Amino acid sequence: MRGDTRDLVDTLTDGIKGLDVRVVENPDSTIAKRAHYAPPWADVSIIGIAGSSGSGKSTLSQAIVKKLNLPWVVILSIDSFYKSLDPEASRRAFRNEYDFDSPEALDFDVLVERLQDLKAGKRAEIPVYSFEKHARLDRTTAIYSPHVLILEGIFALYDPRVLELLDMKIFCEADADTCLSRRILRDVKDRGRDVDGIIKQWFNYVKPNFEKFVDPQRKVADIIVPRGVENHVAMTMVTQFIQQKLVEKSKRHRAALTRLESQARHQPLSNKVVFLDQTPQLRGMNTLIHDIDTSKEDFIFYFNRFTTLLIEKAMDNIPFASTTITTPLNREYAGLKPRGEVSAVVVLRGGAALEAGLKRVLPDCKTGRVLIQSNMRTGEPELHYLALPKDIAEHEAVLLLDAQMSSGGSALMAVQVLVDHGVKMDRIVLATYSAGRLGLHRLTTVFPEVTVVVGNVIQDVEERWVEKRYFRC
Amino acid sequence: MSTTSEIAPTKCVGPDYRAEEQKPTATVSTAVNFDNVTVLSQTPQLIALLSIIRDKRTDRGDFIFYSNRIIRLLVEEGLNHLPTVEHPVTTPVGRMYDGLAFQGKICGVSIMRAGEAMEQGLRDCCRSVRIGKILIQRDEETAQPKLFYDKLPEDIADRWVLLLDPMFATGGSAIMAVEVLKSRGVPEERIIFLNILASPEGISNFASKFPKLRTVTAFIDQGLDDKNYIVPGLGDFGDRYYSM
Repeated sequence: MRGDTRDLVDTLTDGIKGLDVRVVENPDSTIAKRAHYAPPWADVSIIGIAGSSGSGKSTLSQAIVKKLNLPWVVILSIDSFYKSLDPEASRRAFRNEYDFDSPEALDFDVLVERLQDLKAGKRAEIPVYSFEKHARLDRTTAIYSPHVLILEGIFALYDPRVLELLDMKIFCEADADTCLSRRILRDVKDRGRDVDGIIKQWFNYVKPNFEKFVDPQRKVADIIVPRGVENHVAMTMVTQFIQQKLVEKSKRHRAALTRLESQARHQPLSNKVVFLDQTPQLRGMNTLIHDIDTSKEDFIFYFNRFTTLLIEKAMDNIPFASTTITTPLNREYAGLKPRGEVSAVVVLRGGAALEAGLKRVLPDCKTGRVLIQSNMRTGEPELHYLALPKDIAEHEAVLLLDAQMSSGGSALMAVQVLVDHGVKMDRIVLATYSAGRLGLHRLTTVFPEVTVVVGNVIQDVEERWVEKRYFRC
Repeated sequence: MSTTSEIAPTKCVGPDYRAEEQKPTATVSTAVNFDNVTVLSQTPQLIALLSIIRDKRTDRGDFIFYSNRIIRLLVEEGLNHLPTVEHPVTTPVGRMYDGLAFQGKICGVSIMRAGEAMEQGLRDCCRSVRIGKILIQRDEETAQPKLFYDKLPEDIADRWVLLLDPMFATGGSAIMAVEVLKSRGVPEERIIFLNILASPEGISNFASKFPKLRTVTAFIDQGLDDKNYIVPGLGDFGDRYYSM
């Protein structure tokens, strides 16, 4: 039995090894080879849904998202990419004499750029367009880390550069009178227009443009969906396609992690992994923390005391600069000061157990939060939530906190998130109460510039018991 | 006491994995050659904390916060000198952990008033520790330290004592405090003296006078000036912590 399983695993990893082992040359480091980690949001699947105004594109998109109910399936409306109007065009727009239904009105260059960013796994700032003001607002909304993106809009299948990025192309179809009546209802209710204006626009722009530009898109579509959401067969087809994509991505991600494991095993541990000195005091505290019979009060007290030392140790690894200060005795002392702002990012839930220690060392440091959970069924780490300080890319050091790191999957993902937000790798100091060698190997093979501060080394894989005891649930 | 004009040791400080040229330079602790004196590891972070509390522009709030961080590190290091026994335990996930347990009871004794500033840091690490106090002041007539008051745990002779005083210049009061403890039956080897800033001559004198007592300090400074203040120093610790 045992032998069978091992054979299976070996074959699996061998197969994967052959797949796609990318080794990137790293010019700034003495370590020549770096393993590549592709987070599940790299190479996002994009589904384009086009169709006439009022044909039920957005209802269909929303129905799909609702049915899947996953945070990494995201809708992007092409309406966000309307060009800002100059004063003259704006006046025409308010008189309903501006042609919003021509491809000319859309900024496809920016759209393509943003889609390419998302394909590369980067964060994309999406413009916010105001229909009341007929202008792009100053603020943007960010899209980051979707696994599947639904691009919805009358011209979703129009630009050939966009078509190249799409994994599935859908064209929504509906009777022209259905479309018009839906449009009247929507524009009166949501966009504050009057019926006369809407009808004028319909016959002047919407209808001719539909025939000229919108309808021809059906030729490039993979599927044509009549009757929108009421079309259950089509709905099921699309959701199944997305689910299939998600399964593939999850498999690929887990395979990438396994591949890193086999690569990492044979490498010596990076010298940027720093262990706390196992002093008698530290071992004593560790004993109380590990002992199942320790009371809850004692557990929390000693864990906080331990993590305070862990954060102090992490702070030894941030960049410092020389400074000369004058003492009250008017003597000079050649000392040090941190080179700039230090912030923290907590990997939830476990990392939050380190916050008491963090606050003792840096009471007012800006703290970002990332919720990464392992999927119950597959064990794959999944990014559920993200809130980072806006200026994080400018901070001199970012302490990344987690309670336990065993296989290193969530640590890899958390570092990737920081890197995607512009944090330089050598400015990241990951501090964890305990870590397995496998996880440390994996992380430092992919991100050799990252410093890792470890409270104690454990077996390779261990259940996340620390946060359970700390938060008592 | 003489003024010291030795050149303070300056070197690059930072983690081992960083190249020398990537580490900033700073003045580090003067080395003394005594087995019973432990100087905290001269990490960039410790030097940065000391730079803040030395700076005359640092306000009282920051002085308290940053000295407290140093004191916690001192207490953690001081506690390492307590005796231990093997103590294996079972962890919540069912594996064994080769643990250690501490033996012996401890108490803190602060030399008033500056030493009392270290009590918070001690309690941060040892929640309900007993704390005795000793008041020693300079006699106006003889210029010698004089014991004015003490209140110590009854059973102090059975305990390990963490003696607290942040500044060690000539060490007059610390020497007297040790004499008081010894007179109450505390053996020298069970006293651990915790100190932030010391003078090299004072600490050497202390270490040879009480060879079994252990001192843990954050930094040994350049020396003493003609008024017997530690230089470059950090000013009057008690004043900066309590009243300035």
